[in-house]
Amino acid sequence: MKIAKKLGLAVAAATLGISLNAGALAGEVKIGFTGPLSGGAALYGENTLSGLRMAAEEINAGGGFDLNGEPTTIELVSLDDRYSPAQAATNAKRLKQESNVPAVFVPHSGGIFALQDFNEKDNFLVMAYSSVPSITEKGNGLTLRIPPTFDGYVRAFTAYAQENFGTTLGMGGATHEYAKIWATMVEQEWTGKGGKVVANNPMDYNKSADFFTGVSRIIAGNPDVMFVGGASEPTGLVIQQARQMGFQGAFMIMDQAKIDEVAEVAGGLEMMEGSIGVVPLSVYETETAKSFIQRYKARYGKTPGSEAAYNYLALHALVEAMDATESTDPKVIRGAVADALKTMDASKNPYQVTAVTADGGFVTQTTLAVVKDGKIVREAIK
Amino acid sequence: MNLFFQQIINGLTLGSIYGLVALGLTLVYGILHIPNFAHGALYMVGAFMSYFFMVDLGVHYWLAMAGSAAVVAILGVLCERLVFHPLRHSPPIHDKIAAIGILLFLEALVQMFWGSDFRRMSSPFTGIMNFDGLIIPEQRLLIIAGAFTLVFALQMFLRKTMTGATIIAMAQSREGAFLVGIDANRVAMMTFAISGALAAIAATLYAPINLVYPAMGHLVIMKAFVIIILGGMGSIPGAIAGGMIIGFAEAFGGFYISTAYKDIIAFGLLVLILSVRPQGLFAKGAH
Repeated sequence: MKIAKKLGLAVAAATLGISLNAGALAGEVKIGFTGPLSGGAALYGENTLSGLRMAAEEINAGGGFDLNGEPTTIELVSLDDRYSPAQAATNAKRLKQESNVPAVFVPHSGGIFALQDFNEKDNFLVMAYSSVPSITEKGNGLTLRIPPTFDGYVRAFTAYAQENFGTTLGMGGATHEYAKIWATMVEQEWTGKGGKVVANNPMDYNKSADFFTGVSRIIAGNPDVMFVGGASEPTGLVIQQARQMGFQGAFMIMDQAKIDEVAEVAGGLEMMEGSIGVVPLSVYETETAKSFIQRYKARYGKTPGSEAAYNYLALHALVEAMDATESTDPKVIRGAVADALKTMDASKNPYQVTAVTADGGFVTQTTLAVVKDGKIVREAIK
Repeated sequence: MNLFFQQIINGLTLGSIYGLVALGLTLVYGILHIPNFAHGALYMVGAFMSYFFMVDLGVHYWLAMAGSAAVVAILGVLCERLVFHPLRHSPPIHDKIAAIGILLFLEALVQMFWGSDFRRMSSPFTGIMNFDGLIIPEQRLLIIAGAFTLVFALQMFLRKTMTGATIIAMAQSREGAFLVGIDANRVAMMTFAISGALAAIAATLYAPINLVYPAMGHLVIMKAFVIIILGGMGSIPGAIAGGMIIGFAEAFGGFYISTAYKDIIAFGLLVLILSVRPQGLFAKGAH
């Protein structure tokens, strides 16, 4: 009897606690994040999250935003999925049920596809940080793709490499899903433009402790250009080992890796002479980019990469859209993000994204970077 | 022909690292019958310790290696004292769960202090030797030489000294060892210390040509378990031979067939060897 009483009291206390909690949440909107926060890809997840955190802190420091006349703050709820699509799906369900988030940020294509299976039914926005073109091609009505698709890079990199470095290609790359899609498109484009693929040996960054064997296999095919990529740091190792083994040619670097980060591992930009890749944020000359880099450095003590910058601007745009529409309904926000990108303060938009395509892709001008005489140089895409 | 020799060098480098890690694992298993899943985490802590000594304190590479070996040896002893020793009368599954617990704990701890960044640690041996097209970076040569020296030193210690003999005695027969008055606690602590030091040295040798990050232990621990099963659980020569077999299978299989299949080749060998010798290659020798 005593126990039953105690139990009843506990239940009562718990319900009271919940209702009190709900009361405290009135002026707060929760935004979800699921990504790798432990394991081999933890750094990537942390970098993505750092951009979101910075945006949330800036919004809250200014007293939040106005939602139907009520000052509202943002709370980020982040869950670790260890890069697993299944775990990402579980996390998203949990975020929706427990925190009623209107949007979930996911920085990997596997997780994005998993969430797209049910996000329209469960009614939340997928904020997709991945360049795979099919993310927006599927026609999911509640998806926003933050970075540009990579098909533009594939064409531009191939054209530049074939014009400047030669027509034989050795395929390095990696074995994760994203890298495989990239590699397939590169091979098609390369051979379609009259080039020849002479070696094919993607690196397994999760299972290989060493890349000497794989790299020597590609070099044995004697290519003019080597396709490499994956996370920046292991890509740097591959480039370093290729140079050590006497490879003189150029590198074509998948967009996941950033030239400046790769160079730190590879042993400097001299090792990367003739590399083609995406333009690292640190090379952007615009005021908005510089201001973002400065603030990020002051906050985290390191140079931001594009994953921080893109997610930073996406969260700002999302909040701007909620502010403008006085709504947290995912459908309404989705429709208002394009305008929000145009009207929001330029300092919150380091990449100067100003439009969203009909299928939900942020429009960014694609450029390419080349390492020339030990410097990263921006080249126009023809 | 150069490409062939290049693969021999690759196989030797990989085999040396795998062998060193497997050696620590097999010692602990052979003597205390604990499958130490946390061994990969000790390897990772070893790399971070060397990184800390070298980059933050500015110590020389060799000193950093010695310091790291000492720290991880102590950590190994602590694991034995605080976790495995109190569990000595529990069913074997408790050891396994505890080992996984230590693994998760150490990884989270390192991630808390150092974050999840990939780090680079450079050794003083950055030169590259080129023998008429055969390319051997100095650090790789150091790995091979270092591994052989360590294995030799360990053999000498176990075979020629009294303290080493107590370890061998424990491995051969626990009851027998107790009967002649060998202190089991001392042997257990010593074994963990040696195992930890080996892991730290292997990590310090390998880190300069690789990256240092909290999840770096996963890669080698999987292989190390395959190796000690292949070589015979608890067998020292088995760990070394197993390490070389896996290293060479990866290098040659990866080069002449395909890197996508190199694990299949290694595991295929495992199946083949185990079907002929289910106890592993050298199981009889040590026990």
